[in-house]
Amino acid sequence: MSDSYAIHTEDLRRVFRAKRREAKKQKREIVALDGVSFSVGRGELFGVLGPNGAGKTTTIKILATLLSPTSGRAWVAGVDVAADPKGVRRHIGMVSGGETSGYGLLTIEENLWMFSQFYGMDTRAAKARIKELLAVVGLSDRSRTKIYHLSTGMRQKMNFVRGFLTDPEILFLDEPTLGLDVQTARTLRAFVSNWLAERRDRTILLTTHAMHEADELCGRVAIIDKGRILACDAPAVLKRGLQSEAIFRLRIADLADAHTAVAGRVDVSRFAQTAHDEHIEVDLILTSDGALPDVLASLQSAGGRLLSLEKREPTLEDVFLHVVGHGFEDAQREGGGA
Amino acid sequence: MRADESRGEALRSLRVAAWLGWQIESNWADPFVFAIYSLVKPLAGALILVFMYAVIAKGGLQSPLFPGVFVGNALFIYVPAVLAGISWTIIDDREHYGMLKYVYTAPVNMLTYLVGRGVAKTMVATIAVVMMLLLGTLGLGVPIRLGDIDWPLVLGSLVLGSAMLAFFGILLGGVTLVTARHNYGVGEAVAGGLYLLCGVVFPLDTLPTWLSSIGRAIPITYWIEAWRRALLGQRTALFSGLSDGALVGIIAGSTAVLAVLAVLVFRLAERRARAKGLLDMQTMY
Amino acid sequence: MRSRSAWTVFWRTVLGRAYPRIIGAQREKSWVFFEIFLPLLQVTAYVYIYRAIEAPPEFIGFVVLGGAMSAYWLNVLWSMASQLYWEKETGNLELYIVAPTSRMAILLGMALGGMFATTLRAIAVITIGMLLFHVSMTVQNVPVLLGVFVTTLVALYGLGMLLSSLFLLFGREAWHLSNLLQEPVSLVSGFYFPVRALGQVVAAAASILPITLGLDAMRQLLFPAMLGDLRFLSPEVELGILAGLAVLFLILARRALGYFEALARREGRLSIRGQ
Repeated sequence: MSDSYAIHTEDLRRVFRAKRREAKKQKREIVALDGVSFSVGRGELFGVLGPNGAGKTTTIKILATLLSPTSGRAWVAGVDVAADPKGVRRHIGMVSGGETSGYGLLTIEENLWMFSQFYGMDTRAAKARIKELLAVVGLSDRSRTKIYHLSTGMRQKMNFVRGFLTDPEILFLDEPTLGLDVQTARTLRAFVSNWLAERRDRTILLTTHAMHEADELCGRVAIIDKGRILACDAPAVLKRGLQSEAIFRLRIADLADAHTAVAGRVDVSRFAQTAHDEHIEVDLILTSDGALPDVLASLQSAGGRLLSLEKREPTLEDVFLHVVGHGFEDAQREGGGA
Repeated sequence: MRADESRGEALRSLRVAAWLGWQIESNWADPFVFAIYSLVKPLAGALILVFMYAVIAKGGLQSPLFPGVFVGNALFIYVPAVLAGISWTIIDDREHYGMLKYVYTAPVNMLTYLVGRGVAKTMVATIAVVMMLLLGTLGLGVPIRLGDIDWPLVLGSLVLGSAMLAFFGILLGGVTLVTARHNYGVGEAVAGGLYLLCGVVFPLDTLPTWLSSIGRAIPITYWIEAWRRALLGQRTALFSGLSDGALVGIIAGSTAVLAVLAVLVFRLAERRARAKGLLDMQTMY
Repeated sequence: MRSRSAWTVFWRTVLGRAYPRIIGAQREKSWVFFEIFLPLLQVTAYVYIYRAIEAPPEFIGFVVLGGAMSAYWLNVLWSMASQLYWEKETGNLELYIVAPTSRMAILLGMALGGMFATTLRAIAVITIGMLLFHVSMTVQNVPVLLGVFVTTLVALYGLGMLLSSLFLLFGREAWHLSNLLQEPVSLVSGFYFPVRALGQVVAAAASILPITLGLDAMRQLLFPAMLGDLRFLSPEVELGILAGLAVLFLILARRALGYFEALARREGRLSIRGQ
């Protein structure tokens, strides 16, 4: 395996087997990862994008040495994660979304200092870095607040600081903005971008199901669904792949389900719909612009009333739709687990 | 809320909590392992006393004190089981499962919820108590004869004792609401103190007067005495002047006082916990 | 991150993990009542049992010493062995695993952090015992006594680390195992009466628990009038065995922690919560 990669995986598989007594009403085996292979160069911010249950967290857990692969191999900083997990840990850090780690009776500063000691950081250096990072995330005035008094957003900011505190070579961010308000999420994304810009030799692997986050931050994105990587390239390249396609978003009233009107049509490449209170939103990828009038006619024949029509530039969600064959929300509904 | 709605809510809370308590208590092992665990733990604790008598007491297990002490020790198994079962629920739900805040925001009767959560441990304790008494009768010469048992007193002790211990548990639950999670269970720690003060394993008048006075103010002391009378027909010297009726009356009266105190303490603790935002605090260290 | 020596990381980790224990105990002081005062009452109960059955006076001293040392056993069981279960449940375990530090350092930090409260409890029991119950202890051989005490603790904490490795793999099963061990160990280790009273065979079997030999040796050294037929082995022999146990448990603990962690990684159990 070449040392030029920060992260490299070959045909990773991970199967979870339920105990016999737990498996009575559910499948005995769950295939969380089914042959995942990708490489992340040093200095990259690489995204893994997919719905709940796609295998994102499982991938990170394997790379962070919390989980062994069932088969396949992975290297982090050139070290085999299964053969030498201790060797890997010298190079990594991890931040997860919705973390509840830490000790409630300790203050933010104390919790962060404690974790810095697990990495052998000098106390003076740790405290200086804590102060610097808390200022960046806007928690300077709360450094002496006990953890159990923190809001969700503040707690996640603290977790962020913990991840960056030791200045790791490779950082795993597992849905780091999960459950955060827009402003806080934006602050943390800006933090990530700036950190990477200042440290060209650092690498980040980010998992998210927020398309716009992946689009904004990542140099390259791997789209994962049901344990398999379906596409992997820069967001712009992935979107450009759909440039030849015509992408429309329609709002239609008086029609509960557009499926019968558009399914089976050769001029419709992909189709997804979302129900709202008094209308449905239909995302269409057509073979060409010229197919639109016929599709509209079909929808009107089925009883639908067009409320609005929008031609869009392809987004990562469209890429997902194109690659996976169904909408992101549909995949979310099927998924459920991590 | 109307009385019947309130009653319905209380019963529903009790029922769901009892089911939940059982799930939590029993779902970590297969039934055989669970049975072994449920029996070995209290039996080992009780056997400490048996060995102390067998090895050290004049007369060994034939010591005249032994039967009363054995019965007291066996029935005392209920005390840490119920106290811990109820008070630990607060810690478990708050710090382990993060559910306490959701229980509090649901239309749940918190008092019956806590009692319900303690039911599973109580049931397991009952099996252990019965096994202990069987061991004592069949293996250690404790003179419990089925035909001589005062069944009405047994029933009264069981019913009143359940209520008494439940209220004790609620009182401790209130304390737990406003304290941190330390390493040892509050219920077990308090039971350890009661072990000294309630004449469980030695005559209460062995203690200095000021300590035995504290013991005489605790309903558990009389409850243990009631069991000794019911199972052995024995009266300890200190309570020899108390008739069975007076004894039951004292237990009932002190349980009523305890009930008022427990609910008061619990409600005050709830108010304080709400004021200080403690219902979802995490304090493990 | 600069490469730091393993030794530096080890000791910083110990201090870092001990810190929450020390500070937590200062910030919420209800433990003084629940973990010192109430257990003191429980030990007192056993004193009165012995008085009620007219046991020889040195038995009061035995049970006071047993009560004091039981504080360390409970600290090992609840503040160290089963602690990894709680750390898993709160999400801290994952962060400990990902950190480039020794698990033994984290466990040692937990143990040392809890040592303050534990030692306070032990001192309280001995002091009350001596003052209230007129327990008289005569220190026969200070170096051997200190050696026994320290070696017992090292061996005990080594055993605790070994037990804690089970928590990496098992969840509530291991927690219930800790629960289960509490009373049987109290019985067979001779917390309340000399282990020799249970017979040579039981005493020998129970000697695998460091607290058994530690207590027996300390009783012989502090209560020289201890009846001959209640002594198990000589204090010097017991010290030797304890030293062996200390080394054995620490080696086994290191191996077990690595083994069970790898097993838990394979089975995906390091992150299971809500058990």
